[in-house]
Amino acid sequence: MSTNEVSLTAEKKKTIGLKIVTYIVSVLLALMVLLPFISMIREIFGDEVVILPTASGNFTVVTKPRETMMTWKEFTQLFNKPTWTAFGNLVLVTVTSTILNIYFSAITAYAITAYEWKLREAFEKFIIVTMMIPGTVASIGFVQMCYKFHLANNLVMLIIPAIATPMTVFFMRMYLKATFSKEVVESARIDGAGEFRIFNQIMLPLMKPAIATQTIFCFVASWSNSWVPSIILIDDKVKTLNVLNYTSATYVRGAELLMCIPPVLVYLFLSKHIVEGVALGSVKA
Amino acid sequence: MRNKNHIERHYTKWGYIFIIPFVVVFLIFNFWPLASTFYYAFCYLKHAGNTNPEFLPSIGKPLFKNFTEVFKAKSFYSALQNTFLFFLASTIPEWILAFWLAVMMTDRRMHIKARFIWKLAFFFPKLMSGGILGVSITSTIVGFVANAAGLSAAAMSMNGFGLTEKDMEFVLSVKFIIIVASILLHFGITFIYAVAGITGIPVETFEAAEIDGANRLQTFFKITLPSMRPMLFFITVVSVVDGLGMYDIPSLFGAYDTTRSNLTLMMYMNNQAFQGSYAYDKASAVSLVMLAIYIVAALIVYFLLLRDKDEAKFKKAIRQERRELKRGI
Repeated sequence: MSTNEVSLTAEKKKTIGLKIVTYIVSVLLALMVLLPFISMIREIFGDEVVILPTASGNFTVVTKPRETMMTWKEFTQLFNKPTWTAFGNLVLVTVTSTILNIYFSAITAYAITAYEWKLREAFEKFIIVTMMIPGTVASIGFVQMCYKFHLANNLVMLIIPAIATPMTVFFMRMYLKATFSKEVVESARIDGAGEFRIFNQIMLPLMKPAIATQTIFCFVASWSNSWVPSIILIDDKVKTLNVLNYTSATYVRGAELLMCIPPVLVYLFLSKHIVEGVALGSVKA
Repeated sequence: MRNKNHIERHYTKWGYIFIIPFVVVFLIFNFWPLASTFYYAFCYLKHAGNTNPEFLPSIGKPLFKNFTEVFKAKSFYSALQNTFLFFLASTIPEWILAFWLAVMMTDRRMHIKARFIWKLAFFFPKLMSGGILGVSITSTIVGFVANAAGLSAAAMSMNGFGLTEKDMEFVLSVKFIIIVASILLHFGITFIYAVAGITGIPVETFEAAEIDGANRLQTFFKITLPSMRPMLFFITVVSVVDGLGMYDIPSLFGAYDTTRSNLTLMMYMNNQAFQGSYAYDKASAVSLVMLAIYIVAALIVYFLLLRDKDEAKFKKAIRQERRELKRGI
């Protein structure tokens, strides 16, 4: 009896110790991650941080004071018409491509799960293979295609490819594998619902956790995607905000704050559904 | 029975209908560019905006000219080396940290509070890392890390542990800073997916393990990891794709560094294709090398994590049985 008690308290002590360590590590990490953000805001209004390469292959970080601190009036003047146009372009591209990505990935995953067609397993393997090969490998061909068919400077080239994203399809498929029940679909069929209607009105709401998770990641990925846009968007009218600065003469520092608002809003709005609800991989049929 | 089969078949056509958009867009925007990249690697295609590839043997040049040029370049090898160094050195500590924290945060016995805030904080850099802001926040992260490293180096040398500036050179080098910054930027994703995977496991499983007297390490390796295998596969793929295609952070240190200490494969490809030389053909060859690396990595990951050995054995047995049945008939 007494030995039992001793081991119990030892276990409790260990748990408390681990708890303290966890809190310390989390706080340190959070500080490490959030401090740069604070210094970024300070940088907009105060000093400027510049990384300079040196001859020996290393680098030095130099803090240059601006001539004058930016006043509020100067700050508001930064948000001029080009900035707003670019912001609108970026919102358009990100929102439409995220919606297309999520909807068509969900429908593809549903097609793999719900129907027993012949090439189903082959198609699933194909998705798994292609998800491990990112589109950046084919970027030369993609850019050449844009040049050839005069589709550079066209935002459609950034939106339409989002329909085929194997990574999202795989995630949705994992989720459906664990939660899908045929009875729901069959009872809806008996009630006379068409297949499209079953998907739109029954399956999509059921997939909410997976959709929320993937929406956040797709939104952030599309929002911060600047490599291909910086190559194919040349005209200032179609430039998105994240490529505007690379080439334009007037470097817009204040626009950085515009950049951070939408992803944070999306995260705050959706994070309730993310994570906790995603029951993946535990159930194997 | 036959009737039911008939009904099922009536619905299977919808499977094909539902994947049409995916397949069409994939063929146009993924497969076609990949195929043409493959073709360009054996072509002459230089100068900005040139869209007229000339097949190499048709203009009297050896077929593998682009590849030999790439494999001769010294910078290619340093790019290859750096890519793998950055990938391994940032992924391993990041995974240990992310999984450890995910396990601790989801442990029922510990009741960690304010999980929402931690998640937001860890995911914050990725949330902010778009375009201009990405440059800004990454450079501030880099500056922060460099300052911290510099301070600790100075403290070390003052304290007189027998350490000189030379011993601390690695900590202050470009490579180390890139690794630390990419850990900080990518850590949140792994953490969020890991928490998602762990919370998906039924609580009863952990309770049973606890009653049987398993300690935390045993629970993690023997229960948590095997139960979240699909999610683990997903996390690995995200890590591999992001890690081998690393571009944002290293490119902050300048595209034409003389010692090439920050050059990655993606940067090398980008430099060849879209900066200065506009050698689309050489860049295509580099893309194909990257493709080969991705395929090897994909195969390794697939056979290690996703392929169910028992299932494969089972299917093989079924196939054999069928064959024998046919033979018998």
